[in-house]
Amino acid sequence: MSNITILQGTCVVISTLVLSFIIGTILPGFERKFVQARIQQRIGPPVTSPGIMAPLKFLFKKNLNPNSPAPSLYKSLPFICFLLVGLIFLSLTPQMYFFEALASIIAIIGFLKVEEVAYVLMGSLSKSVMSLGLPFPDLAKGAAHPDSERSYLEDISSKRAFRMIAFGSFPLYLALFIPVAISQSIYLADIVKYQQVNGPLIFTLAGIIGAIVFFIGYMILLNEYPFNILKAKADVIEGPYMEYSSKYRAVLYLTKGFLMFTLGVLFSVLFIGVPPNILSWGILVNIAIAFIFPVLMGILSAFSPVFTYRQFYPVVLVTSLLGVLAIVVGLI
Amino acid sequence: MVDEKKPNKHDVIETEIPMGTVHPAALEPYRVRLFVEDEIVKEAEITVGVNHRGIERIMEGLPVEKANSLTEKICGICSNAHIWNSVLVAEKGLGIEIPERANYIRIIMEELERLHSHFLYLAHGSEVLGHETFSMRAFYIRETAMELLRMIGGNRVQYGASIIGGVRPRCELNEMKLQKIAEGMDEIEKGITKFADRFVMDPIVMSRIEGIGVIPQKQAIKLEVTGPTLRATGVAQDLREKMKEYEPFDFNVITQDDGDVKSNILMRVLEIPESIKIIRQAIKNIPSGPVVDRSWEIFDCDTIKSYIEVPRGTLYHSYAIEDGRVRGTVIRTPSMSNIGAMQYACIGDHITDAQLCIVQCDPCFTCTDRAIKIINL
Repeated sequence: MSNITILQGTCVVISTLVLSFIIGTILPGFERKFVQARIQQRIGPPVTSPGIMAPLKFLFKKNLNPNSPAPSLYKSLPFICFLLVGLIFLSLTPQMYFFEALASIIAIIGFLKVEEVAYVLMGSLSKSVMSLGLPFPDLAKGAAHPDSERSYLEDISSKRAFRMIAFGSFPLYLALFIPVAISQSIYLADIVKYQQVNGPLIFTLAGIIGAIVFFIGYMILLNEYPFNILKAKADVIEGPYMEYSSKYRAVLYLTKGFLMFTLGVLFSVLFIGVPPNILSWGILVNIAIAFIFPVLMGILSAFSPVFTYRQFYPVVLVTSLLGVLAIVVGLI
Repeated sequence: MVDEKKPNKHDVIETEIPMGTVHPAALEPYRVRLFVEDEIVKEAEITVGVNHRGIERIMEGLPVEKANSLTEKICGICSNAHIWNSVLVAEKGLGIEIPERANYIRIIMEELERLHSHFLYLAHGSEVLGHETFSMRAFYIRETAMELLRMIGGNRVQYGASIIGGVRPRCELNEMKLQKIAEGMDEIEKGITKFADRFVMDPIVMSRIEGIGVIPQKQAIKLEVTGPTLRATGVAQDLREKMKEYEPFDFNVITQDDGDVKSNILMRVLEIPESIKIIRQAIKNIPSGPVVDRSWEIFDCDTIKSYIEVPRGTLYHSYAIEDGRVRGTVIRTPSMSNIGAMQYACIGDHITDAQLCIVQCDPCFTCTDRAIKIINL
């Protein structure tokens, strides 16, 4: 590859990344304004509010030092998450397919796992005022068990994030292995090539089942209703994000939109065979998928209460079984 | 009676999760300490008092009518119930018989208030469940009741309808207003029917509320639970049956059997048509005549007690009158009686359901805080 081609390729990748990032900022607002708010017969927030204006506002806010045993690590986690999403996106671009270690399902799963671990760390490092104890023994009237150790709300969130790693993310990872089973390769280049020759996997039985499993996994990873036990308002409020303010919170919001877009692109690469490339009309497919998923997610969210483990376990179990079924069908 | 659900005082519970006094799942400030093991609540402890304003103390020495007006400020949801009960105390003490038309208007106000309170309950309950759509729909239906209250009383929250001897003349109901109330009832009835159908047909919602926050009947009686929360355990106890103000009206006392969140929600859902039924009877049979009798005279009397059935349960007001002024006021709101049930309901459930278990008892801690008299400090 000549130097000029590398330069051109780099420009294309950066342009695709920037475009995706910009579109990603609209997705959370699109979901809330045009889907959830419509269903709930209310006006809803401006479409730019959750993804663009809120982060902009937070960028100009004064930072409050988080109440955390390791503030620097805690503050660095949103940036790490953002970088991880960026890396996942980069691995999906066709210009990066030559770098096989990056452009493989294993690398993507690795990045997603680190993202999940970041939630565990965020939860365990956040000690918000919402459950702060008094600096002296609390002898308030009627304390039934004064010897109990006081826990922070975020600790529960951290434990839940850990459980998510253990079982919650099964559907998404199983869905990622369906194209692997069909194309017999873990490399994205091979998966895309297979679909260019044999047609998109979404039109196969395994692909259809895989799409459903992927979508459930997508919602679980994004911690959206009804799978938002990690940050359920009824108890842990915002969960691991509680202590973030100013630019750190802004980065969190931006990461969410970007992750929504990236997961949409991941689906279009794995199940439709269209990688993101600003020079190709195929990017419209990526954008369309990135918008369709939030629409579906918004509909499901608007009609579901938060799942506790009583609902969560069966859903994950059934979805995981569907994922296994899709892999078996794909292998056959 | 040994309670199997409750842990022994000597049991060491590893973790305490404090929630509040400010928490987004709670409408009002209160503190709940949850003693948990592996996210399962072993014991709960609710502390109120954050919003204490000492209204009982402020009422001390005020002229009776002024004190009555003040009671309306105790609660933003059952404001009419407070002023009505406070006025009833004075009327009982002074032996005042109010015009029949005034009683009908008071009943209409109270039942409209019950409607908006129950819809608020459904909306808040859905919000805590995490179901925003049901929450929004409940608020939309509630809007009709709120607007009707504004039409009658001039305000959406503080109507100031009841005065000693009847109701304020501005709350008089002419033909047009009665027609609007009747139309509003049709609208609310249609709304609650659709809401209830969708709610009970939703398997996910049902799986979230069935068997959660169970309060057995025996326990409810032991804890002196009142109102719909008690009736949700199967006890057919509604003070409206005994109140002479409700004698002209025919209605059913709704009960449920399980005492869980589902039963509590269904209680409110099924009580709404009963309130609509009462309002329709009141509109149909409202007698003509004056709405207030001002021919009463004030004199000293000993402490008079009055209990009425309000949306959340039994409301108690009592005071004595001395030189035309109020003495020794005691106000006991239904949530005060239900706190024990709220604590009990949390035990054995997942921590995410804890707020739901509290909300199922329809708490109004701010109104409890404002009025309670703290003794033996």
